[in-house]
Amino acid sequence: MLDKLFFYLDFPFVRYAIIVGTLISLCSSLLGITLVLKRYSYIGDGLSHVAFGALAIAAVLKVTNNMFIILPVTIAVAILLLCGSKDSRSGIQIKGDAAIAMVSAGALAIGYLLMNIFSSSANVAGDVCTTLFGSMSILTLKPTDVYLCVILSAIVLVTFALFYHKIFAITFDENFTRATGVNVNAFNLLIAIIIAAIIVLAMNLVGALLVSALVVFPALSAMRVFKSFFTVTVAAAVISIVCSLTGIIIAILAGTPVGSTIVAADIVAFFICYTTSFIRCRRA
Amino acid sequence: MHKLFSIFLLLLFTTATFAKENSSNADIDLTRMSSTMVYSMVYQMVTDPQKYVGKRIKMKGAFSSYFDEEANQRFFGCVIKDALACCSQGLAFELAKPRKFPSEYPSEGTSITIIGTFEFEKVEDGIGFPIIKDAKMFR
Repeated sequence: MLDKLFFYLDFPFVRYAIIVGTLISLCSSLLGITLVLKRYSYIGDGLSHVAFGALAIAAVLKVTNNMFIILPVTIAVAILLLCGSKDSRSGIQIKGDAAIAMVSAGALAIGYLLMNIFSSSANVAGDVCTTLFGSMSILTLKPTDVYLCVILSAIVLVTFALFYHKIFAITFDENFTRATGVNVNAFNLLIAIIIAAIIVLAMNLVGALLVSALVVFPALSAMRVFKSFFTVTVAAAVISIVCSLTGIIIAILAGTPVGSTIVAADIVAFFICYTTSFIRCRRA
Repeated sequence: MHKLFSIFLLLLFTTATFAKENSSNADIDLTRMSSTMVYSMVYQMVTDPQKYVGKRIKMKGAFSSYFDEEANQRFFGCVIKDALACCSQGLAFELAKPRKFPSEYPSEGTSITIIGTFEFEKVEDGIGFPIIKDAKMFR
């Protein structure tokens, strides 16, 4: 088995997949904790559908690098969802989960419609399936995709490290943080931008429909076992990276779809953490 | 926690199944790879063919044929599907010893194995397509 694995590792595209998979899972797990605690777990799903809609627009406009359309559109919607719904002066009447559900379903429908009407590809169903489930995207990356991922991941990690204490404060009590003089709106804007960037990156790894799992599962698994914000953050990052690597390796060895294998590994990790927590509670 | 995690990894790895290994004189033997790897490799060959020109390729897939009216020529292909079975792609091949179509060829969709030399056939202005030449075909 190891011979087979080392044989596959000789191919550059497998190494790219492992690098990108590690970085994306690390970034998504860090912000996942904030999203889960702020009760925005489902925003990953909504934003990934927006990214899918933007991808369809980029395909219709025949844009060479579709990232120039996907990233700004997803960031704009993330700001609207995370910041707009909190601002009473903005006049937005639809709030919280309803806004996410509306954007999620709407973007998915528009994306599929555009791909059907304007697609130049002979296999629309295949294109949609690949985008939604990330069938092979991670194993078809070019060096430029890897550089872009490394740069975006570095920005996300540095931002998270620099503003760790502020993000911690905003996650638990926005009003108190505002009272201490912190510009909460600016930090919510920053979180929205980072989340959008992560979602767009994560689409390559697991596909649009499974992005939520990458954001939510490691955070929830870590919360079963650890209690402080710092230990949960570190544990979520470790669980997410291990699950992604395990998923990628199993997928290339056993020939299973990459995205769903990674999510299956995340589910197994969650049940292990849940059982560990359950046993610990029974003993206490 | 550490022990539980080790057991989890062990369980995941033991569920993996592998393609049967077989000996061949190919530089790239796709028949030894998992379906995920085969699909990714063929994608690399189609999108970046220059890296693979001149190499002996062995692959297993479904037989397919297509008649190009403009070129007045029939093309033969070996088609593979991705892990989700929603996408398929393939490589054209040209047999070393031409056969009569359709009597000496398998029917569409029949599982075939081909071995031959990977080439990039230029059509015009640098545009072309990858093809496996001097190929042998087995069922």
